[in-house]
Amino acid sequence: MAALEAIGLRKRFGTLQAANDVTLSVEPGEIRGLIGPNGAGKTTLVNLVTGVYAPDSGEVKLAGQSITGLAMHEIARRGLVRSFQVTRLFGNQTVRENLLTAFHARRPANVDGEAAAERMIRLTTLGPLADTPAKKLSGGQRALLQMGCGFMVPGSCYVLDEPFAGINPVIKETILEMIVEVNRAQGAAFLVVSHEMAIIRQLCPQVTVMMEGKVAAQGTLDEVARLPAVVAGYLGKALE
Amino acid sequence: MSASFRRSAVAIGFAALLLALVPLFTGSFVLHVLTIALYYVILAASWNLLAGYTGQFSLAHHAFAAIGAYTSGLMGYHLKISPWIGIPCGVMLAGVCGLILGRLVLKMRAIYLAIATWAFAETFHIYLTADYKFTRGELGLSVKSLYGTTDPMPYYFTFLALTVLVLLGLRLLIDSPLGFFMRAIKDDELRAKSLGIDTTKVKIAVFAISSAIAGLAGGFFGHYIALLTPQMIDFSEMAKIVVMVVIGGFGTFLGPIVGAAPVQVVMTYLQSYGEWNLAVFALIVIVLMRFSMEGVASLFTPLWRRVWNWK
Ligand SMILES: Nc1ncnc2c1ncn2[C@@H]1O[C@H](COP(=O)(O)OP(=O)(O)OP(=O)(O)O)[C@@H](O)[C@H]1O
Ligand SMILES: [Mg+2]
Repeated sequence: MAALEAIGLRKRFGTLQAANDVTLSVEPGEIRGLIGPNGAGKTTLVNLVTGVYAPDSGEVKLAGQSITGLAMHEIARRGLVRSFQVTRLFGNQTVRENLLTAFHARRPANVDGEAAAERMIRLTTLGPLADTPAKKLSGGQRALLQMGCGFMVPGSCYVLDEPFAGINPVIKETILEMIVEVNRAQGAAFLVVSHEMAIIRQLCPQVTVMMEGKVAAQGTLDEVARLPAVVAGYLGKALE
Repeated sequence: MSASFRRSAVAIGFAALLLALVPLFTGSFVLHVLTIALYYVILAASWNLLAGYTGQFSLAHHAFAAIGAYTSGLMGYHLKISPWIGIPCGVMLAGVCGLILGRLVLKMRAIYLAIATWAFAETFHIYLTADYKFTRGELGLSVKSLYGTTDPMPYYFTFLALTVLVLLGLRLLIDSPLGFFMRAIKDDELRAKSLGIDTTKVKIAVFAISSAIAGLAGGFFGHYIALLTPQMIDFSEMAKIVVMVVIGGFGTFLGPIVGAAPVQVVMTYLQSYGEWNLAVFALIVIVLMRFSMEGVASLFTPLWRRVWNWK
């Protein structure tokens, strides 16, 4: 049974069919890449599976159970964790408070929140900034903290919308390690949206390519990168 | 108990101790002014929970105080029921009305929420004035005083105790998971939802809690001043609460405490200038909102840090 399954999802904004019959699944323990040109509908898909939008038609299943039409917080509590392409944090809360809020939101039984926050502060190397309001952080630090919040309480499936966009190589590496570690230790599934082919190649055995609201191809990165449609519609040239 | 709670408890206890000594040095007029000021501290602090912490800029808070006051007042007037039963009933009714109003305005964005809650308060205001057979309208509903005396002393101590209890309760609430959720909703509701927070439930709960606290303050207030009029839901009452919180520090724990008392005291002494004193305060609020939302409380922050680092 797939960890996360989107079946025939459609979503229209005015005259624009942003998701047009999208079917995709992520197996337990898999890290799947989701790539495609700007405006292909990747973020729309993320929003559809996490309950930000209700699909016009189609179904979303988490570990075999339908979550279509559930409220966002219900979906999150069932273990589907997401990050936002444009980093979202609670700007007036400190780094530690942001982590604690994420902890309390899906509080697991018999776990000490303070200790978990402390561990995450170490893991994200945000120690010196622990008591700084999130709005004062740099872009990379914000991305790191958003990721840390997602990992405060174990989820069954993580949907990360461009977690590596516009951040420096050191932080990129830290985020990469966190993903690999959570995947390895908890067997959690990941759907990672990214334009960074080098990272996708390293992280994702399988990728899905979206173009114009549709799934255009699936397979290993090297397989899809050879397809003429993908080269023409997205990559521009073949990957070296 | 968290460190934050212990610190606040010590500071509140210390302040209460000083205030408890005031009657040794002053007459009953000063005690009266301070009693009313404490009433506003409770209103300001509970409104701050809703507006300052949760971002629900309600303009109906004074109406919930009136619900508390009129419930107990009417029960006493028509049914001869004791204030000690009437006040808890007022608290509950204010809480339930807050819950319902909170449910109704749930999906509204800031300005619409402000208008809708204001409309609720105005409706209640008009009802109290119009149904004079039941509420005595502008004539005023005479209410039994709590201790059978008009000497402010026992009421002063009652309000001092109430204020301490309410502030400690609010401190606990703000440091609890619910407190984290409240501030999260104010900052970014979509993100709060995406983390798994049931924002609907949180917002309604905070509406009910803050309204019940207003009802509590209103109930005791009614049995102190002994004459209730619809003036209690005049918009100037709400404006006063907003002024107090903004001057003190919107969304800070200390804000309503340091804002309410001085504003009420200054307003009492400026009363001879009529409505103009509210206009002056409104101007101050606009300036504060425009240039910084920090308020007077921020001046205390360095001192607060230093005190606790000594330990
Ligand atoms: N809420 C919305 N209302 C109207 N149009 C929208 C909305 N959200 C997305 N769109 C449109 O849907 C299309 C797909 O957008 P989407 O954000 O899903 O693309 P994307 O693949 O994530 O692109 P990028 O790589 O730039 O992040 C775009 O044309 C976008 O303008
Ligand atoms: Mg996107």
